[in-house]
Amino acid sequence: MDSLLLSQYLIAGIVIGIIYALMAIGITFIYSIMKMINWSMGEFYMMGSYLQYFLVVYFLGAHLWFVGIPLSMAVVFGVGMIIQRYLLRPMFVGEMERKDEYATVITVALMVFFRNLAVVLAGPNQFAPPDYAGPTHIGPLPVSGNRFVALIGTLVILGLFYLIVKKTWVGKALRGSAQNRVGIQTAGVNVLRVDQIAFGIGVSLAAAAGALLAPIFLVWPENGAVATMKGFEIIVIGGLGSIPGSLVAGLLLGVIESLGSVLISPSFKDVYGFILVLAILTIRPTGLFGERQRVA
Amino acid sequence: MKTKPKFFFGCLAGIMIFSLLLFSSGGSAAEPVKIGVMTPLSPPGATLLGQFILRGAEMGAEYVNANGGVLGGRPLELVVEDDSGTPEKGIAGYRRLVSQKNVSAVIGQVHSSVMIAVGDLSEKLGVPIFSTQASSKAITEKHLMTAFRTHAIDPDRAKMWLNFIQEMGYKRIALLAENTDYGLGLVDETKAGMQKLGLDLELKSFVFDKKVVDLTPQLLELKAWKPDLLIDIHSVPTTAYLMVKQAYDIGLYPGTPILASFDWPGRTEFWQNLGDKGNYILFISYYHPKMQLTERGEWFKQQYHQKYGEFPIYPAFNGFGQILILADALELAQSAKPADLIAALEKGQFKSWNGTVTFERGEGPYWHQWSPPLMVLQYTQANQSPEDAPILYPPEMKTGSYKAP
Repeated sequence: MDSLLLSQYLIAGIVIGIIYALMAIGITFIYSIMKMINWSMGEFYMMGSYLQYFLVVYFLGAHLWFVGIPLSMAVVFGVGMIIQRYLLRPMFVGEMERKDEYATVITVALMVFFRNLAVVLAGPNQFAPPDYAGPTHIGPLPVSGNRFVALIGTLVILGLFYLIVKKTWVGKALRGSAQNRVGIQTAGVNVLRVDQIAFGIGVSLAAAAGALLAPIFLVWPENGAVATMKGFEIIVIGGLGSIPGSLVAGLLLGVIESLGSVLISPSFKDVYGFILVLAILTIRPTGLFGERQRVA
Repeated sequence: MKTKPKFFFGCLAGIMIFSLLLFSSGGSAAEPVKIGVMTPLSPPGATLLGQFILRGAEMGAEYVNANGGVLGGRPLELVVEDDSGTPEKGIAGYRRLVSQKNVSAVIGQVHSSVMIAVGDLSEKLGVPIFSTQASSKAITEKHLMTAFRTHAIDPDRAKMWLNFIQEMGYKRIALLAENTDYGLGLVDETKAGMQKLGLDLELKSFVFDKKVVDLTPQLLELKAWKPDLLIDIHSVPTTAYLMVKQAYDIGLYPGTPILASFDWPGRTEFWQNLGDKGNYILFISYYHPKMQLTERGEWFKQQYHQKYGEFPIYPAFNGFGQILILADALELAQSAKPADLIAALEKGQFKSWNGTVTFERGEGPYWHQWSPPLMVLQYTQANQSPEDAPILYPPEMKTGSYKAP
């Protein structure tokens, strides 16, 4: 195989891997704060993609696509806050047993509800917003402008996310809550409020992924399913709760899928990711960047 | 005194028997005849195809019921099952339809893998099942008493594109096929057909998992191979749209023409999803909007447009047609029993949306098989409607020539 083709496969893998990572970060962020898995993450991705489509096509126009992304994130952030307040907060109030099961039942129900709601409201057809940018090149790889925008957009959003978590008061509260939910309350932080913000931020990251990827992977009721599956693979590889782990695992998954599908067989593209998951779990059960939890 | 209880119980028994007779006879007049619609309504199945088939079937039942129902005024009732395009769900769904819902027949099959698996079970349980858009020849080649189809089969489809390839003078052909009975079956049929026709072609197949949404690495490999034509064998339109976008983005298409293995470019959302990138695509179709339809087909076309604001496409037509075929077969059989229905289906002639349908015990895959016409269409300008797309092949239907980008 010539080196040009190999470099093209590598770059294609890196591009898709960074895009995958955005989805995983939302899941892992919610887990790190609330210690629960949000199984309806793909539906917030789907919501973000529909919002972006309707904003761009009916209100903003194709040239203002970039305004649609923060707007979609804001709407989904609000929806997430409301859902957390009325459906998920009860599991943290009072002496609830089996919190994990409660969270699973609620988020799986949300997944089914939102998918069906999308079919009822928008029908079974797919939609695509206009292209964000024309075709371009990354090194030797010809790529669509949409992928390039998604790549840059992902890096920008991750940068902003890092700044919020590291440099703001809210970020400190979020980190504190992730480290010790009881301890942070002694510092006067309302941990239930922090949960609400964390859930809102997590689902808005999924919405950002949906909005960025809308012209690449289209808008339809089930479009979050693939993103969710990849997201969960990535958090297992990178380590549950680790944000750098999600980024590295996304890249690894993208490159392994890309190379595996051309060097071995494209029939098993999804299998390569699972082989990687199994290999990582065998060597490091907590994932590449995951840490063992101390249980009091 | 002793006779009083006897008289009382006698009267009571009489009333009960009379009531039972009354209710059973009254009930049977209004008791619906149930038809199962088992089709993919959730991933990884071709959910859109399933939705269109369901729409057609629902309007078929409306048509039949508005015209007096079947078997002396009994309404048709549809029982819907989602097979998700997976054999295991298909088997469970078919069992449920037969054993719990007591359906007389099942329509709506889209995925060959599901239809093949369910076909074997249907032979044991005896309730007929219809392929609405599953095209593997294995479905009817097994000569099952319960398997019927009103859709094109793979050998005919492969023959169609091989003849087209021959006419166009293409030499290097890439087959991008999903790893299902549909995809792999068409790869095999193309290879067999090539030998049969004595064509000297370089053929390379790229088989992928049907759930994969990013085919960029395969398309890069394919571009490096420089084919004259890429035949796309996707069963799920969503991922097919993505493939066309990805092929365009890496500069493979439209320089290398793409021939879609079925009529997904004929849908309303095709241009909306692909914009100018969709121009010049070639596709196999079983229906052209300028085709002459039967009276029933015309009714459906107009009513569908009124109801959904768009004209129907082939899967909706076929779902509608199969319900009408079953309604006519029920009348012919004068029974809702599956065995009687099968006998009626084999001996009758049924007016569907596009002509008169028969299910003969033909040779090989032509057993219980009725095929619609096949044609190759091309979009020659962006946002073109299927109605204006020229037919490039076969020669007897030809309305235009291939237009290069």
